Amino acid sequence: MTSLARPPLKELETKARWLALLMLAIGLHVFEASLPSLGPWFKPGLANLVTLIALAMMGTQAAISLSIARILVGSFFIGTLFTPTFIIAMAGGLSATLVMVAAWRCIPGLSLVGISLLGALAHMLAQFVTVEALFIQQSALYYALPPLLILSCISGWINGALAEYICGRLAHEKI
Amino acid sequence: MPSLTMQSPPRQNMLDALKGTWPDRLLLLIALISIVGTWFVIQANIAAGPAIAEIYHGGTLLASYPLPQEGEAPITLQVKGDLGLSDIIIDEHGARIASAPCASQHCVLSGPHAHAGDIIACVPNKILITLRGSAESRFDAIVE
Repeated sequence: MTSLARPPLKELETKARWLALLMLAIGLHVFEASLPSLGPWFKPGLANLVTLIALAMMGTQAAISLSIARILVGSFFIGTLFTPTFIIAMAGGLSATLVMVAAWRCIPGLSLVGISLLGALAHMLAQFVTVEALFIQQSALYYALPPLLILSCISGWINGALAEYICGRLAHEKI
Repeated sequence: MPSLTMQSPPRQNMLDALKGTWPDRLLLLIALISIVGTWFVIQANIAAGPAIAEIYHGGTLLASYPLPQEGEAPITLQVKGDLGLSDIIIDEHGARIASAPCASQHCVLSGPHAHAGDIIACVPNKILITLRGSAESRFDAIVE
């Protein structure tokens, strides 16, 4: 009956925390899809904010698994699972997460603000590269990229500050 | 793994958090300079000449039309994409997709576009409309 033995409390706590963050991320993913959009390319990236918090609080693996699970389940809820929208979201979300992980590990001195900025830029670039590679093979697509990248800078910076604030508060309250 | 919250004290204040660290600001500066630089290069390449709308399906150019001036008849056309037919209208306000067979309808909702560098993309149907040139350039030519 050892298989029924209760796992250590620490492990359960980690799993519960990861799942709570996943629920939050899925909620934000669905919420963002229902917002009036500034166009099909641009979202505020609130769901990626949760990935960033997971990276800061729980580490690399938790952040990567969280973003994959969030896009899978979130797309299921908004009805885009396995459509082009889903492929683009997955490419963008994964690239953003991997870039943020790399920045977190390799660039000293960056706060979550700078990491979030890089993540937002990676997300936007990956969307366009994916569309050009898989759907519309026209480099003319990239004409639209610079203004959108500037929007990404703004949203990435604000999300990073939010993440910094939230992580600061959570660490302070010893949760 | 380096812990960044150890390097910088946790920020309890949202305004403090918005300021970022020096490396953050340096990164933002580099990003903005390269983005704006690229934007200028792109605009310099595509803003010259009369306003033209080009319509693509996947990798192939289907058609290219000059934008009609005020008073000229609008151009309407139907193009076949991967999912079905998209209706495109090009008038003096710019080019727009009037109807599309996709579920999201993002391309229809984005409305008319007329500025050089604007794109209208319907990814599920693999239809792309790009705009280059400027409507004013005809008048520039007259002045010169």
